[in-house]
Formats: sequence, C-alpha cells, structure tokens
Amino acid sequence: MNVERIKNAEIMLDNVGMTYDATDGKKVQALTSVTMDIQKGEFISLLGPSGCGKTTLLRIIADLLQPTSGKVLIGGESPKEARLKRKYGMVFQSAVLYDWRTVIKNIELPLEIIHEGKAERRERAVKMLDLVGLSEFANHYPRQLSGGMQQRVGIARALALQPEILLMDEPFSALDEFTREKLHIDLLKIWRKTNKTIIFVTHNISESVFLSDRVCVLSPHPGRLSAVIDIDLPRPRTMEIRDTPEFTALVAKVRNSFEGV
Amino acid sequence: MKAIRKIVNSKAFITLVWITVIIIIWEICAARAAEVKRTPENVLPHLSGVIDSLTSDRKINGSQTALGMVLENAGATLSRAAVGYVIGIAAGFILALLMSLSGIIEKIAFPYLMLIQLIPILGMAPIINAITGDIAVSRIVIAAILTFYPVAANTLAGFKAVRREAHELMYSYAANKLQLYTKTMIPACIPYFFTGLKISAPMAITASILVDTLQGGIGLGCLLSQSLKGAMTRYVFWDIVFFSAVIGILSFYIMGLIETLLCPYKRLEKKGR
Amino acid sequence: MAAKVNKKRRSAVQSVVCPLIFGITLIAAWQTGLLHIVLNTDEYVLPYPTRILTIMGENSDKIMMNVWASVQVAVLGLLFGSLLGYLIAIFAATFPKFGSGGLTIVSAFNAIPIVALAPVIINWTKDVSSEAEIRSTFAKIIVVTVVSMASMSVNAYRGLTELPVFSDDLMKTYAAGKLTEFTKLRLPNSVPYIFTALRVSVPGSVISALVSEYFAEYIIGVGRQIRENILIAQYSTAWAYIVTACIVGIVMYAILMVIEALVMKKRR
Repeated sequence: MNVERIKNAEIMLDNVGMTYDATDGKKVQALTSVTMDIQKGEFISLLGPSGCGKTTLLRIIADLLQPTSGKVLIGGESPKEARLKRKYGMVFQSAVLYDWRTVIKNIELPLEIIHEGKAERRERAVKMLDLVGLSEFANHYPRQLSGGMQQRVGIARALALQPEILLMDEPFSALDEFTREKLHIDLLKIWRKTNKTIIFVTHNISESVFLSDRVCVLSPHPGRLSAVIDIDLPRPRTMEIRDTPEFTALVAKVRNSFEGV
Repeated sequence: MKAIRKIVNSKAFITLVWITVIIIIWEICAARAAEVKRTPENVLPHLSGVIDSLTSDRKINGSQTALGMVLENAGATLSRAAVGYVIGIAAGFILALLMSLSGIIEKIAFPYLMLIQLIPILGMAPIINAITGDIAVSRIVIAAILTFYPVAANTLAGFKAVRREAHELMYSYAANKLQLYTKTMIPACIPYFFTGLKISAPMAITASILVDTLQGGIGLGCLLSQSLKGAMTRYVFWDIVFFSAVIGILSFYIMGLIETLLCPYKRLEKKGR
Repeated sequence: MAAKVNKKRRSAVQSVVCPLIFGITLIAAWQTGLLHIVLNTDEYVLPYPTRILTIMGENSDKIMMNVWASVQVAVLGLLFGSLLGYLIAIFAATFPKFGSGGLTIVSAFNAIPIVALAPVIINWTKDVSSEAEIRSTFAKIIVVTVVSMASMSVNAYRGLTELPVFSDDLMKTYAAGKLTEFTKLRLPNSVPYIFTALRVSVPGSVISALVSEYFAEYIIGVGRQIRENILIAQYSTAWAYIVTACIVGIVMYAILMVIEALVMKKRR
C-alpha cells in the first residue's frame, strides 16, 4: 500500500476479509476483500441487509474481531493500538447504560477508567450532557428516561473520552420513526460541532442517505462491498431535505445498487 | 368514597384481610381443641394464651420469664446463624468470582456446586456436629454451607447475565480486569446476589435451630426439644414456633430492605414510572 | 479452522476431566487419611470410603427399607404439595385481587423453619391412627406437602399470568371462554414454570422428609437413622446413611431432569 494513502486516510481498509467456521465444518464468508479509505471528519454509513457483514466490518475496525485476511489501519496504527489509545468511541444498538449509575455518572464511566480527576470528570460530563441537550436530567437514573434520551446519553458517553472516531452500530434501529428523525438532526449537529469521523451501521436506506457523506452498500452471500455512493446533498441538512427530488433520487440509486438481495 | 376504595384496593389491606382470616381460622380450631382435648395447648393454643405467656412476668425456671428465656436462647442461636451466614456469603461470592474469572475453576466447581444443592445438608447435621465436636461451631458450619450454594449460584448467574455489549464497552475503553469487575460485573450482579441472600437467610436460621436440637445446652432448638418433652410449659414451644417464624420471614424482608437501600434505582422501579 | 474445532472439543473434554480429577483427588485424600488431618478428626468419626461402602453392602436390606420409608414420604408430600400449590395458583390467577395477596402469605410460610413446623404437625396428627407408624408417615407427608406447596404456588402463578404479549387478546378475539383460555393458553404456558418449581422442591422435599423424621414418633427413615446411629456412636453406619441420603437426593433430581427433558422436548 502506498504512503500517500496512509498519510491521507483516517481509516484505511485493505482487502479486509472474514471467514467463520460454521458448526458443520464448512466455511462461511462473512466478508470478502473490502478495500476503502475513510477521510478525517467524514460521515460514512455501512448499509445492508442482515448477513451482509456490515456489523462484522465495524467490529473489525473496533478491534472486537480479528480479520482473517487483509489489513486495517486507523491513523496509521492497528485497531488494537487505536483502541488502547482510546481513539474511538462506541455506540451500540441499545444504550447499554448502567442502571445503578445516574445519567451523569454513566457519562463519567469512561473517564473513571482512564483515572481522570474528579473535578475534570464532572466538568467534561456536564459539557457532554449539554452537547446532547439533556442537562436537566443529569441526576436521573437511566430507567427514568425514554429510549431516545437513553441513546443520547450513550452518545454523550462515547464522546466523553474525546475520541477522533465514533463507531455506531445501528444506534437508532430500536426507536420509533419520530424519535429517530429528531435524533438524526441532533447527531448531525453534534457531528458538526465536534468534527468527528463517524462510521454508522444501518439497514435503513433513507437514514443512511440523510446522514452520510458516503454510503457504503454491502451485499450478502458472501458479504462484500458492492457500491460506494457519494451523497452530495447540501449541509446543514434539515428535515425538509427528505422531500426533495434529489433525496428521492439518491435513495433510489442506493436501493438499485444492491446485488443478490 | 374514593379514599376508601383506594385503601381497600391497597396491597397492605389485602394482606391484612388474609392475616385476619388466618387468625379467625386458628381461633376456631383452638376453640374446638379446647373442647375435646385434655391439654389443648399441646395441639393448638389460643393466640391470647401465647401472647400471655410472652408478656407474663411469671418465672418459668426459677429465674427467667418465658420471653427472657426465648430471647436469651435466640441470641445464642441467631448469633451463630449470623456468623455462618456471613461466612457462607463471603465464600459463595468469592467462589462465584473465581468461577467467573477462570474457566478451569468454573469447570471444576460447577458440577459440585450443583451437587451441593441436591445433598441433604440438614440431614448431615449430626455428623458435622460429631466431626467439629462443638455445637457452636456446627451451627456456624451448617449455616455457612446452606448459605453458600444459593449465594454462589445466584451471583454466578448475575455475572453471566452481564450483556455482551457491556463487556464490549469496557473492552473499547481498554479497561483492565479490575476495572471490568469493579465498574461493571460486580455492580451488575448485586440484584442476583441479593436474591441469593434472601433465599438463604431463613435457611441459615432453620439450620441453626435444627443443630440446637441435636444436643443439650443453650439455643432455641434445645429449648424447643425440652418444652416438647414436657420439661417446661408447652407455651414455650409455641413462643419459639412464632418467634422463629417471624424471624425467618423478617430475615427475608430485611435483606430486601438492605437491597433497596443499597440500590436506589430499584426503588424507582418499584414506584413505577 | 481446525484449531478452532479442536479448541471446542478440548473445552468439552476439560469440563468432564477437570471435575473428575478434583473428585478423585478428594476421595484419595479421604482414603489416605489426608482429609482427616485437614479436618482435624479421626477415622472413627470420619471412616474411610471403603469402610462406608462395606457397611452399605452389609446392611443393604435395612438401608433399602429406610430409603423406601423416606422416599415414600418425600414423593407423596411432593405430589400433594405441588398439586395444592398449583390449585392455589389457579385460585390466585382467577381472583387476582385477593389471590396475589394470598400468595404473599403462602410464600411467607416458606420462610418458617421446618424445625418449628414439624413438631406442630406431628402434634396435630396424633389422632389419625392408633398405629405409630401410620400416623408418623402421615405427619411427615404433611410437612413435606407444606414445604413443597410454596414454591409451586409462586412459580405456577407466574406461569398462569405471565403470558406471551397479546396472547390473551388473541384469545378474546376468538371469543374464547375462561375455561378455553385456561386449557389452551394458561395451562400450557405454565408448564416450564412447573419445572422451575420442581427443581427447587425436589431437593427440598428430600431435605424436609429427612428433617421431619427427626421429630417423628416412629423411628424409621434415612434421616432418622443418621441421627440414631450417631447417638449410639455408630459413625460408620451413620455415614452409610449419609451417602445413601446423597444418592437419594441426586437420583430424584436426575429423574426430574429426565421427565423434564421428555416433556419439554416437544416444545423445542
């Protein structure tokens, strides 16, 4: 791989592949040779139906899985080094908040892990909570919040360590449409303010078009990257953009790029 | 009207109704026993008789009232039960922790943990008494063994119930093992741990009283046997029955109370949103 | 790939071999007298495993007689208690307002020590029969019944009321009566909960049978034999009965597991 690529790309995937052993001894190709570069500050969606390997790809970047072939570099380092340096924050499908901690203490959790001082911890957590617009709920417990609010706390917690990259695994898929659309706007605002690189896994076509700079379409059997589509809609994006013919055309283009579904 | 309906529908009221029903049935049976039996207090005494025996200041064995005697013996039994309970809790928790930390230890201990549950430990009380040779130690040992299993099994279940995402979250923070346990695993298993505590608290008390009956000396069980044999008034027996029932039930609720005090989020849940 | 399959197989082998090694080590320590040093006791109070086995062989007839007496009490008490517990659960599910409050009371019974329960019940059943053996057995069965009842009623109530989402609405759309709803929905739904209850109450029934024997008038049963033999300092015989009691507990649980596997197989 050339030096130029390493220098420019925040995340670089080179021929990444993943093969599982099925119980009957056969090999299952979850992912075959994915090659792509993700630039700093980019909003990338990994889109596809279940079994296409989008979550596998995200987990490889997060160092939760080791690829069986190919190479991943994050800012020129391996995923493991990136993880140990806390270069990315993770947001899961459910918020994974700790019931026994208040909202503010949940956000402080990663800061406790890196032994941040008490005052700094609180200060940073308050800032993050403000960023996601939940300041008044600081001393509530997670169970007192709605699903959408819980997920916003999850995002605030992921940002608390000030990582350069945000990895999001279908974060809004359990929410209703109204909440989800509101969180789309909120997420884009947070992204603009913080200038993170976001990798966003989803199976929702219009969601991926609305949010992303580029949509990476993955197809199943075997899991592979079948298209990368630039979304050249203007920013900042508003709710109304969904009603424009340009948006509809892009959604159609993404939908047509699927293979073998 | 509304206020009355609210009271009638409340849980406390319904429980109260049930307790009243039970008391009425008890008293009817006691009245029947009084008619046909020569010594009705051997079969079923009136509740008033039991309360009288507890409140009267008549000395039973020359120096103590019934209540004083029950309390003194209860002190000996319950303090040993408590020591055994605490040892059992500590051992159960540590084993669950070790099993969660090491696959090999889990593999070794798991089948035996299952077996302990199936072995009638209470049936082994006499032999444990013979091995230790000291009734106080036996009480502690048996209460500890009985406490051990529910605590270990429930705590282990709690560790296993921690969701994969929570593990991955800690992994993404590059948290070390100690942090994983102190920040995630142990707090997450607390409700399960308390389930174990609630199950085993009455068991520890039962065990301790049972061990008492094996040997003379001081203890609720000894007193119970003596009263049954006719060495003192039969009301002492009934006092102990009621006392141990109340203590057994109380121990369960006290554990629940401690849990809600330790876990404020549980309180919210109960209130409902 | 081969490495991964191997790893799985190795893990399965480990989970059999590791506990086995531990068990053999323990028995070896016992047989060689190491365990006696650790527990600070002698081979009189804690006889060698071989000695216990010899005694069990020599007294097999007598042991079997006592096993039969204990098992009879445990099984009958378990059956009556479970049946009664299930009926209470049906009652509670039919009249939820007063029923659930009643269940609180029943589960509170669970916290009453059996040691307090057994003598009371033995007192009450004095008039059942003129023969000590019959009235003792009767009393012991009632003790086990009471102990088994609580766990069944609490679990069965959950099985009868914690239904799959919307399933009761579905029944309503069929205009199904209460009885149909019970037989088609609530009863089948409660089956796994019945087994949850039995997993607790089967070992519980063995323990309460043994303990109630302590207080019974008629001297019979595995539990009573443990105690009687210790009173006359026959420790080897007492140990033979302890081992028997353990085997009884394990066999009864194993039978439950087999029944559960047979019943639940169709559900998967």
